[in-house]
Amino acid sequence: MTEIFLLIISAVFVNNFVLARFLGICPYLGVSKRVETAVGMGAAVVFVMTLASVVSWSVHYYLLVKFGLEYLQIIAFILIIAALVQLVEMFVQKMSQSLYKALGIYLPLITTNCAVLGVSILNIQKKFTLLYTLFYGFAASLGFGLAIVIFAGIRERIELMDVPKPLKGISIGLITAGILSLAFLGFSGLVKE
Amino acid sequence: MDTVPRMVAVLTIVCCVAAIALSQVYSVTKEPIANAEKNEQLKAIKAVLPPYDNDPLKEVEKHKYEGSTFEFYAGKKAGELVGRAVKVKSDSGYSGTIEAMLGIAPDGKITGLYILKHSETPGLGAKIVEKAFTDQFTGKQLGKCNLCVKKDGGDIDQITGATISPRAVCFAVRQGLLAHKALYEKKSE
Amino acid sequence: MSGLREFTKGIWEVNPLLKLVLGMCPALAVTTSAENGVGMGLAATFVLVCSNVIISMMRKIIPKKVRIPVFIVVIASFVTIVDLVMHGFFIELYKSLGLFIPLIVVNCIILGRAEAFASRNGVFYSLLDGLGMGLGFTLALLVLGSIREIIGNGTIFGIMVMGASYEKFLIMILPPGAFVTLGLLLGLMNKIEMNKK
Repeated sequence: MTEIFLLIISAVFVNNFVLARFLGICPYLGVSKRVETAVGMGAAVVFVMTLASVVSWSVHYYLLVKFGLEYLQIIAFILIIAALVQLVEMFVQKMSQSLYKALGIYLPLITTNCAVLGVSILNIQKKFTLLYTLFYGFAASLGFGLAIVIFAGIRERIELMDVPKPLKGISIGLITAGILSLAFLGFSGLVKE
Repeated sequence: MDTVPRMVAVLTIVCCVAAIALSQVYSVTKEPIANAEKNEQLKAIKAVLPPYDNDPLKEVEKHKYEGSTFEFYAGKKAGELVGRAVKVKSDSGYSGTIEAMLGIAPDGKITGLYILKHSETPGLGAKIVEKAFTDQFTGKQLGKCNLCVKKDGGDIDQITGATISPRAVCFAVRQGLLAHKALYEKKSE
Repeated sequence: MSGLREFTKGIWEVNPLLKLVLGMCPALAVTTSAENGVGMGLAATFVLVCSNVIISMMRKIIPKKVRIPVFIVVIASFVTIVDLVMHGFFIELYKSLGLFIPLIVVNCIILGRAEAFASRNGVFYSLLDGLGMGLGFTLALLVLGSIREIIGNGTIFGIMVMGASYEKFLIMILPPGAFVTLGLLLGLMNKIEMNKK
């Protein structure tokens, strides 16, 4: 139990996927103009990433390893993620219109979010068990959600600031992310991974 | 144009071609990959042992000691044992596991240390890979020297701004030496 | 003439990293040194050129609705090839790039060029486009990696340039340095562009 708790703290704060591992930068910069959209994206990512972790882990151990096809890992994982995103989209659309409205537009974007493929591969590289995979996928995506929501909050303020002209847009966004990453660096050494 | 059977057919064919092509590439690169991994190991063993002329990877002995498994690679010159290399690790690094190759002479003296893997902070803890740090261990042995960082009353210089990483390395080294002592040094007495 | 343009446009005019702002994850993660940056750039260039050529060849037989899955399979295959070859022949670079080799699959530059260029143009132009874009990406990574390595470690390609007494500015090698350097670099590009007008 303690180990899982430490794993979660580590993935959310110390080795934050966005700010320390540089995974999922594109959506991080792309959909963080408003806090509302950032929350939507964060929620969609948590959902898909947790699911993708578990499914890709199962496919790796029950299919690829069993038949000695580990070298197909990259193709298999990216197809799993693409298919999963489609399924989740259809499922959400059927189940709840309001949830679909909230998450719908973010779901297709997740396929090319490298955090999802990244976490799937990391789970295998770190030789996690299924339970650890589940929690790691959840925690890593939670870290992504946290980072993007904080970042969107800052960006809403920056909109109102007098930023030098050449730095406007993504440029100042990246510098802000750098400062945020510096703040998260303070967590390092808190928990070992 | 876009009928369902056609879509299915194209997708299936693309996937099959990809899978076949990859299996070919895989079978071609399989050996170089295994060789490259082996060379990495050999490089580390070479760095920590005195000159030898056998293939230590072939003379590997696995032993369990206090719950963890140690792999000893024996280096021999003209048939005589010059030392054993052992892979040691510590989970108490600053940000992850540190793995190292440790060379031990038959009398228990350290012949060399080589850091294989770590994820310590660049520029601080990561300095454990530098020769200035690893060379301190050479010639030391259990009992005669205190294999701890100076802060803990030992003989190893810690690195400015980083005590945890060298401490973890010392721990790993001690484990390796203890295992070596328990498994080999008794026999020679 | 137009062939040359397809090739050169990727280097400055629509540089994938500095102008289109694509492929950020590997750009930030692996540029702790100039060498890693170039290694990553070349790996991505290889995948980009190959997938551009193959996709351009198949552009007439791929049904529109399934084109994205087909693109992904093609790209993932080439990435796997790069992964296997690098593991076998360049093991040190392979280990230092680590996770980011498989992640070339989701590098938006590659899927982006497949969709925007290769699926609409002939094989030869697609080849030039891939080469140019890949080179532009590699150059951008080289610049980013060099700046970070020089300031953060006092070296470039492992050679000491700042003198032994140079106080290393570590933060440049750490994650925050990556963000800030790329941010300032983009600002600089904007400034140059503005002055032109």
